[in-house]
Amino acid sequence: MAQQRAGQKRKVVEIPLAEQVEDDVLGNGDFDEELAEDEGSDGDEEFDEDEEEDGDEEDSDEEPLSEDGEDVRQQLRDLKTSSSVEIVDPDKDPDTDLATNGTYTPEKRPADLSNYDISVDANGNPRYIYKDIEPNYDTDDSDAPITKNTIGNIPLSYYDAYPHIGYDVNGRCIQRPAKGAALDSLLDSIDIPAGWTGLTDPATGKPLNLSREELEVLKKLSRNETPGDGYDPYPDMVEYFTGKGMEEVMPLSAAPEPKRRFVPSMHEHKRVMKIVKAIKEGRIKPYKEPTAEDLEKEEQEQEYAQYDVWANEVPRPDHAMNMPAPKLPPPGYEESYHPPPEYLPDKHQQEEWEKQDEEDRTRDFLPKDHSALRKVPGYAKFVKEKFERCLDLYLAPRVRRSKLNIDPESLLPKLPDPAELRPFPDHRSVEYVGHKGRVRTIAIDPTGDYLASGGDDGTVRIWELSTGHLKQKVRLSTTDPVNIVAWRPVISPPILAACCADNVHFIVPTDSTSPTAQAEAHTLLTAGFSAAPTIPTKSATGVDKPSPSSWHTPIPAHASQSISLTLSLRSTPKTLTWHRRGTYFATVCPSSGSPSTAIAIHALPTHTSQHPFKRLKGLPQTALFHPSQPKFFLATRQRVRIYDLQAGKLVRELLPGARWISSLSLHPGGNNLLIGSYDRKLLWHDLELAPTPYKTLRYHTRAIRDVAFHPTLQLFADASDDGSVQIFHGKVVEDGFENATIVPLKVLKGHRVRGELGVLGVVWHPREARCVSAGADGVVRMWA
Amino acid sequence: MSSASATAQVKIQLQTKSPELQIPKEIGPILVRTGFKRLQLSQLVNTLLENGENHIPLQFLINGQYLKTTIDDFLTQNGISAETTLSVEYVKALIPPQTIASYEHDDWVSSVDVFSSPQQSRILSGSFDGLIRVWGMSSDLLATGTGHSSAVKSAKFISPTQVVSSSGDRTLRLWKYEDSDIGTASLTPTLELYGHNASVDNVAVHAPSSRMLSASADHTVGIWSTRKSDAPAAQEELIPVSNKRRKITPTAKPTATRGPLTLMSGHASQVAEVCFDETYATIAYSVSWDHTLKTWDLATSKCVDTRTTPQSLWSVCHLPEKSLVAAGTALKHITLIDPRVSAQTVSAMTLRGHTNAIVSMARDPNSSHQILSGSYDGTCRIWDLRSVRNDASERIGESVFIIERDAVRQAKKLGTRREDIGGVKVFGVAWDAEVGMVSGAEDKRVQIDRQT
Repeated sequence: MAQQRAGQKRKVVEIPLAEQVEDDVLGNGDFDEELAEDEGSDGDEEFDEDEEEDGDEEDSDEEPLSEDGEDVRQQLRDLKTSSSVEIVDPDKDPDTDLATNGTYTPEKRPADLSNYDISVDANGNPRYIYKDIEPNYDTDDSDAPITKNTIGNIPLSYYDAYPHIGYDVNGRCIQRPAKGAALDSLLDSIDIPAGWTGLTDPATGKPLNLSREELEVLKKLSRNETPGDGYDPYPDMVEYFTGKGMEEVMPLSAAPEPKRRFVPSMHEHKRVMKIVKAIKEGRIKPYKEPTAEDLEKEEQEQEYAQYDVWANEVPRPDHAMNMPAPKLPPPGYEESYHPPPEYLPDKHQQEEWEKQDEEDRTRDFLPKDHSALRKVPGYAKFVKEKFERCLDLYLAPRVRRSKLNIDPESLLPKLPDPAELRPFPDHRSVEYVGHKGRVRTIAIDPTGDYLASGGDDGTVRIWELSTGHLKQKVRLSTTDPVNIVAWRPVISPPILAACCADNVHFIVPTDSTSPTAQAEAHTLLTAGFSAAPTIPTKSATGVDKPSPSSWHTPIPAHASQSISLTLSLRSTPKTLTWHRRGTYFATVCPSSGSPSTAIAIHALPTHTSQHPFKRLKGLPQTALFHPSQPKFFLATRQRVRIYDLQAGKLVRELLPGARWISSLSLHPGGNNLLIGSYDRKLLWHDLELAPTPYKTLRYHTRAIRDVAFHPTLQLFADASDDGSVQIFHGKVVEDGFENATIVPLKVLKGHRVRGELGVLGVVWHPREARCVSAGADGVVRMWA
Repeated sequence: MSSASATAQVKIQLQTKSPELQIPKEIGPILVRTGFKRLQLSQLVNTLLENGENHIPLQFLINGQYLKTTIDDFLTQNGISAETTLSVEYVKALIPPQTIASYEHDDWVSSVDVFSSPQQSRILSGSFDGLIRVWGMSSDLLATGTGHSSAVKSAKFISPTQVVSSSGDRTLRLWKYEDSDIGTASLTPTLELYGHNASVDNVAVHAPSSRMLSASADHTVGIWSTRKSDAPAAQEELIPVSNKRRKITPTAKPTATRGPLTLMSGHASQVAEVCFDETYATIAYSVSWDHTLKTWDLATSKCVDTRTTPQSLWSVCHLPEKSLVAAGTALKHITLIDPRVSAQTVSAMTLRGHTNAIVSMARDPNSSHQILSGSYDGTCRIWDLRSVRNDASERIGESVFIIERDAVRQAKKLGTRREDIGGVKVFGVAWDAEVGMVSGAEDKRVQIDRQT
């Protein structure tokens, strides 16, 4: 019984479906779906209900929104006369309660919570007037998380023994949805009158009841079947053209062939005879294949000459300025003169297109339909477009921009070829062997005949430059190395200053020096002793302090070795530099206790010493006299300061950027300074330019020990601890309009690196392109 | 290739410049196989010369190059067609020199000279220890001359009985040499010549006119007389008066002192070498560190001509047959300079091959084509001026033979490192017809090589 009803009801409900009735609560299948949904949407519940009751719900919001649904429910309620009272109080009857579980509860429960007021409408039915929704946090549940069963991926059969099937996120039990026997009992409890559809007749406003026949018709219609009886869908065929008495008669004639078909035509004979006669008379000539002669003749008869202009044409490469036009897509249906109707714009689109700015239009034409090609009018914008095209070409000529192809070689500065810059030293010429231990210092005498060297063995050796023969050996000490040898820069008499320990010794070479020159040198060196009384008074500024320097005659061991004068300082001089006139020389003692006595300028004729730099920033390293001006270059570890000796003030300060300056060399012109540093840098300073280096040369892998400008040629050299001497061409233009040109020329290798030390000194021959280097391996080499 | 070359022939035209080698009959071009080497050609020419058994070894110059391979290879290397007629000059074969003897010294040998006569040959060597020594041919030291207070830079025989030496002590000394007994001889100083203010690096001698020339580091060239009577007195201030060294000299009585006839200044730097013109004794050539070769007229003591080269010149040698002066440079090559005023170019020819400065040169006494050079690279080289090839800008000659020092040869044999031998710079060379090539070097030896 119940089943039957259910089936009946289902059919009934199918009609409202077509009328957009959404709430088909009675369909069995739909019911299941709803249940399933409700399982998920359990958490949506705003109202705090007993767990048992909130199994399946309709959203209370939906009901008032859909009027039709509301109506249906209302009617349904009305129909249920027996339960109408119970609706008001569901708690009374548990059976009813169960029955209402599906649909009614949402409407009742809000009533309890007075979510709406119930009034009576025109039909006398209760009317629900909902309160305005307060837009507080709780009202909007769209963001609320969807409640899910949290039991995880386990079969539901695990919960068979329980009334619930799992837990939601809040830990509440999810109730098992009603099914089976419970539903049947619910459906049984609903008593539906015959012909009930749940619809309202729009004409009368009364519930629309349909008879069984009417329902049958509707059912058939919905199944695409023919409604009503007496309709034969397959009537018998009526034979209009076939069948008996309607047979077709044979269309071809069976008449015999006429005679004329077999008799030759007189007319044709006449025509043939006419042609024959013409041939006989020679009026018609048979066709003859034209020979080459004939063709030639024909050609000659022609009055004009023929030229085959394209005979020798070969494909030519594109012109450089030829830019092929961009490839356009093939025309589509829109461009057709007779496009399919779906491509034609409707009125609205047409208006929109016309309203748009010309530049904004997606396409520059509007598809138009012409029934025939001949009806297509001329292109209205032809002249305008041609004009604009010409204007484009005229105003915006297309230019082919070629990529810049720059040869990286061409960006390098043009340096002269080293072969053009000869002579410069490029091979070893003479070796001066004899020193034991490192050779620390070398010097070539101003005549260029002799070479002096001093080393760790405490000896000063004077060699003949051209042969490498030892001329004279002076032992200054057995313990201390000879730090500096420096020839007095005056050709005659030859005097060599050598620094060993705290002393500066003045050696007069005996060999090959004429006795007059020797006497001259001796007089020059000892002349100061006669002026000696003035020394104490001068240095007496320091009252009781012992004089930082003292001049005295050498000890006998030295005097026998042709040393004529000894100057004792209180610390070890590491630099001795002569003034060009040979009357003054400066010593720098970096290890001196007080910086004021570190730098001393000594006057040889008077045997006096001055300490002009009382307060000096930094540790002094080396010093230089300017070749032509009264300037003094003093290098501390990181700075080079230029002092004017006459004015007694600082003129300039150079910032070479080196961490520890090792050596200085001044260009003979006086405007360019070379600085070598222990941090591998060779710095060229143009004194007319900025205080920063003009060029920084980093070619050595180890510290640079010595740098030297050639006195006359455009060469300079540096010596490094990596065992190499590097030769550069350094062209200085004195007019100041041109910067110096520096060309690396040659790396001279040959010295061995001993104990991290390579080449300790380099000097140039005064005139020739020859240099001499002093190695830590105890060998002095001349390079030519 | 070899089978083809064995049959291939080339036409050659034989010619020579030496009269004794002229082929008696005039012959035209002859066809020879391209597979021929020097030996086959030499045999061929000897047959033509009808020498019989006395074969003269010959060498063949084609286009200024000595034939060392087969003619075929020579043609391939030089890109010459075998179709052409080759002009082949034949000369007496150069015999590779072989070391005969070496005389050991106490110090580096700075200069050598030879005096030879058919009866006896004497070798004179000057050493850096300040001594001059005279040696016999059997490595016997005949005499030692002491007196110089510094290194002897140059020593020369003036006559069999007279020797001159120049030294770093600024003097030239004349010595009397006497063979007293067999195996001994005496060198007695006869004259001390003062005049230079610096080391006297070289001396040149012209015995017939009894003139000497000295090259000094004081930039001057001195003219001196070998005769005591001709020479003027020396300047007093140049003579060391109260020199302690005087006491060291063993000679009891002081040697006579004389001065120069003239000191010619003109060079801007130290004068390295000086030499007489071989044909005119009144002309001299000097080379200097100032890159110049100067021609001096000794009669007027004037500089006649100056030729400037790009590098310092350290040695000079006159080649009268070629009218050239060979100048050894401080770099690596020898420049042949035409000193005649009419000459347009400075350098007529360049001899390349040495690897260091050339400090001494000597002429072949037997031929006008060869010179010997001694260099700081430790070798002596023999150059044949007929063997020339033309480079892009200059004519280049290459050495024919290289004479290495004996020590280097030994080291090469033993595989010793070059550095362990020490220096082998050659300081002086001399070439005598009888004795051969004599060279003194840093290895403290005088080495004698001879082409036997």
